[in-house]
Amino acid sequence: MNFGLRNPVAKTIFYAILVVWGLAVLYPLAWTALDALKDNAQFMGNAPWSLPNLPLLWSNFSYVWDRYNFDSYFVNSLVITAGSTVLGLLLSASTAYVLARYPFRGSGALYLFYIASMMVPFVLALIPLFFLMNSLHLINTTLGMILVYASSVLAFGVFVLVGFFKSLPKELEESAVIDGASYYGTFFRIMLPLSQPGLVTVAIINVLNIWNEYVVGTVLINDPRHYTLPVEIGVMQAEMQYRTEWGPLFAALLITIVPVLVVYILFQRKIASGITAGAVK
Amino acid sequence: MKTSGTAKWQRSMFIASFTLPTLIFFCTFTIYPVIKALYYSFFDWSGMSDHMDFIGLQNFKDMLHDPIVWQALGNDYFLVAGKIVGIMLLATFFAVALTRFGFKLSGFFRSIYFIPNVISVVVIGVLWNFIYNPQIGFLNAFLSLFTKEPVTITWLGFTSHTIWMLLPPSIWAGIGFYMILLVAAIQNVPDSLYEAADLEGANQWHQFCHITLPLVWEQMKVSIINIMMTTLNGSFVIVWIMTEGGPDNTTQVMGSYLYQMAFRQYHFGFGAAIGMLIMISSLITTVVMQRLLHRETVEMS
Repeated sequence: MNFGLRNPVAKTIFYAILVVWGLAVLYPLAWTALDALKDNAQFMGNAPWSLPNLPLLWSNFSYVWDRYNFDSYFVNSLVITAGSTVLGLLLSASTAYVLARYPFRGSGALYLFYIASMMVPFVLALIPLFFLMNSLHLINTTLGMILVYASSVLAFGVFVLVGFFKSLPKELEESAVIDGASYYGTFFRIMLPLSQPGLVTVAIINVLNIWNEYVVGTVLINDPRHYTLPVEIGVMQAEMQYRTEWGPLFAALLITIVPVLVVYILFQRKIASGITAGAVK
Repeated sequence: MKTSGTAKWQRSMFIASFTLPTLIFFCTFTIYPVIKALYYSFFDWSGMSDHMDFIGLQNFKDMLHDPIVWQALGNDYFLVAGKIVGIMLLATFFAVALTRFGFKLSGFFRSIYFIPNVISVVVIGVLWNFIYNPQIGFLNAFLSLFTKEPVTITWLGFTSHTIWMLLPPSIWAGIGFYMILLVAAIQNVPDSLYEAADLEGANQWHQFCHITLPLVWEQMKVSIINIMMTTLNGSFVIVWIMTEGGPDNTTQVMGSYLYQMAFRQYHFGFGAAIGMLIMISSLITTVVMQRLLHRETVEMS
């Protein structure tokens, strides 16, 4: 039983603060959506919070989609995010399963190795990574991006999934072994379906992180045909100094934001449980 | 005897096949580059040719004499301090308000507060650039409502202290994540403690000081250290998008300086040395903070 705040004045003030912060969070999004429908004259002449003039300038969207090639950036982002999420999940789930269920000499050390690696700043690896990918001829390739991103989410996946596999009951596995199922059969036919909630949680967090990633993208891609959405947003923003196309820029931002917002709205609870599991180190 | 040998062999094979591919993959694309960075930091190398000059600790010596490195280091720790204060105060307040104060719509607020955390930092940087934009920006237009002359402040172009302008976007973008962590921690506190306090007539402030704070302190400590680490390792993106380290290198942080030195000016060895500096300062600060934030932990019974 929670009695909450008793003082009505304090209650009103606190509630007002919550509402103000809510607006501070939502307003930039609403602003992006509105500005995506304006032309340059409206940007210069009207206040930033003014509503777009009618007729709405939907052509900003088709403009960035066709002329700025957002169609291909969108597909690049989609393929890279999907590929690296699946690969990362496969590699982390297999290791996590063994670490959780089949302790062997050195398994504790291996677990610590993955956990400790999360402390190492990724920028440190940036320069050698560039030259490694260069010598493997994986610069400007979808495959290269998938490999690097999959590797960058591995440790987090191992960490969360070890905890998850440990929480699953052992009985099902034991009866499967008695029934003569092989190690692999047990994993693929019994454990993987059972651990779906944990896998989905890790996958969603990885999807968000990879979709939004910028630094590795800028370093490993310099051919515009292979840009991902964040990389192109960075480029567009830099070009804005001599090429003022504000409406299209906001349309581009919206195209980048909407997919993650949809994922967030659909999987809110999963995301909350994922970050809570990942942070209790 | 033979069967148990086969079983053991099968088990070992299974373990190897499930751990080795991951380990090899991870070592190739993450661990090897990190170790290689240490190696590069001892060389003078333009990256353009195979020619690398071993120069020992010269990069590190140069680093100590480079005023921009010190500026960057200072900016990094400024952002660390500002973000810890700003994020922890607001996130703690929101977490308490949305769990303990019995507000309507608490769940809704919790959901929307997290939204900035799912948006790419690049997008956040571009959005805040428009808030600060001198001609068409939100901030100047808003201030102009209260002045006769239109306000035309170049918010990202001050000769000093421009780094302050990067603090609001960083705090805005960071709060939701830590709020969710603290909400989870507060929900783990047994209700009976709050009930007993309510019966004794303790107000919310007392409950916060004597129940919530001591019991979620572990989580707050983790959060503070996490803010420090993510800032030292990742504040680079927002800086790069909003100011590119300018004007005149005054908003440079270690990450952005690394990027500029390596990928713009082709001093890859020097860049790698800055990378080492980031890692070392992040490790030292972690240890120092662990000490400073240590408090007798309260066991929940």
